[in-house]
Amino acid sequence: MSTRVEVDEGLCQGHAVCTGEAPAHFRLGADGKLHIVKPEIDSADLPQLDAAVRYCPNQALRLVKS
Amino acid sequence: MSTPLEAGAAAPAEGLDPPKVGGGLPWIGHMFSFASNPYRFMEKVAAKGGECASFTLMGQRIVLLTGDEASELFYRSSDEQLDQSAAYKLMTPIFGEGLIFDAPIARKNEQLKMLMPSLRIDAMREHSHKVVGEVEELTANWGEWGEIDLGDFMKQLTINTASHCLLGREFRYELSEEFAHIYHDLEQGVNPIAYHFPNLPIPAFRRRDQARAKLQKLVGGIVRKRAQQVDKPSDMFQTLIDMRYEDGTALTENEITGLLIGSIFAGHHTSSGTAAWVLLELLKHRRLLDRTREELDTLLGPHGEVTFQSLREMPMLENVVKEVLRLHPPLIILMRQVSQELRFRQYRIRPGDMVWACPPVTHRMSKLFSNPQQFDPDRFGPERREDRNLMAYQPFGGGKHKCSGNAFAMFQIKAIFAVLLRRYDFELTAEPSSYVDNYKEMIVQPKSPCRVRYRRRSPASFAKADGEPAMTPAQAAAAGCPFHAQALGQKGA
Repeated sequence: MSTRVEVDEGLCQGHAVCTGEAPAHFRLGADGKLHIVKPEIDSADLPQLDAAVRYCPNQALRLVKS
Repeated sequence: MSTPLEAGAAAPAEGLDPPKVGGGLPWIGHMFSFASNPYRFMEKVAAKGGECASFTLMGQRIVLLTGDEASELFYRSSDEQLDQSAAYKLMTPIFGEGLIFDAPIARKNEQLKMLMPSLRIDAMREHSHKVVGEVEELTANWGEWGEIDLGDFMKQLTINTASHCLLGREFRYELSEEFAHIYHDLEQGVNPIAYHFPNLPIPAFRRRDQARAKLQKLVGGIVRKRAQQVDKPSDMFQTLIDMRYEDGTALTENEITGLLIGSIFAGHHTSSGTAAWVLLELLKHRRLLDRTREELDTLLGPHGEVTFQSLREMPMLENVVKEVLRLHPPLIILMRQVSQELRFRQYRIRPGDMVWACPPVTHRMSKLFSNPQQFDPDRFGPERREDRNLMAYQPFGGGKHKCSGNAFAMFQIKAIFAVLLRRYDFELTAEPSSYVDNYKEMIVQPKSPCRVRYRRRSPASFAKADGEPAMTPAQAAAAGCPFHAQALGQKGA
């Protein structure tokens, strides 16, 4: 089973909380748009990603298990 | 005219008109009952007409959308379907021509995006010590105890923090008095008359225009002065000076001025009312106050510095703020003008109608929030997560036009209370139930007067550390401290 992170672009405003919590996975472009640079999540990174999801002010992120 | 009863009947293909709540006067409609208490009025409209109900105000049909499904229609419709600019055009003389609601949609979106870098969480690293410093400065001559009007205090505090973080040092320190006058005249210029007659020759509008022109002149002066400086300050003003449109052009002084005014207008009274309610609700619910204090003491320690890092995670205080925003959202009406026909269930909403969302009505629906009248921050805890449904919990609006200052606002309020609650004890001076919202204000605030008493907290522990002896309770009472007077069973001062 693997876990991925997804962003709802209709909700994301680019507050960049996630880039602080999990810098390896997210990058804010010069245009203010969020890019997921590493959607696949290793179990070691899970706490960081959980924090990114929890602290997103717009609840724009979610973890999807497949 | 249709009634709620007809809602169950089969709808014709062209759709039904939303249930009309009757009883208003011809043309003027429900103006009087609306003006006397807008919130109660909308609560009544929703109770009578349901989640998609209509009424008339000054000849304009308004469709009130409440509940999560109708809110979704409001927040998720495109700019082509629902026009935000037409609804807020009364702000144009204040923000300036060609700005925000007076700009074409794409241009407006570009302008609003330019504010984002100053509101992002990484900007808070710069802002956190400014906010803490402002709280310290405004309480510097509080002494051991006293009484304040909480509404006035929070208004002053949040205009100081906003001008410091957004406008920068020049306006906060060198031009603070001029700015206070300009800001006052701009605020007095916000008048619903401006919808129809934005340039009516009345004194309030004349002063508004003079203030706007004067501010732009001051902004221009600072832009030129800052161009000579090597070390640029970290504030929204500087971000806007450095900002470029996608086509590479810089902002004009008119545009910098307008965006600064826009961000201060968006953030000032909304933050001050919320901050005042955080303290009032905690004083009405002392057990929640104790829990909030415990959290702060655990996270910050007795003398811990309030920093960006220490403010990051404060679940109890965050949930208190969220619950304040549920029951006392500062904006109670969000507006759009309908440009293309919309459908909600069997109802047809026509071009030319206005649609309104009403967060305080939706926030009190028992199908969306358990025990909705109760102040209960734990509803946002990990088990219940009642803020999960973004179309139900909407203190900052929703969708693409959601308030982009939401993280800044939460951060600022946490910083304010991390300082205030650890240094002072507070108590209400009047009957708790007498502290209520004033819904007549455009941005809802606690009704004035709104007095609270304060007393410097735990003198023993703080005094010991500072090397000063603390006053005994008897000494404090003799000197007139109302807290100690009550504690010793004497009559209040």
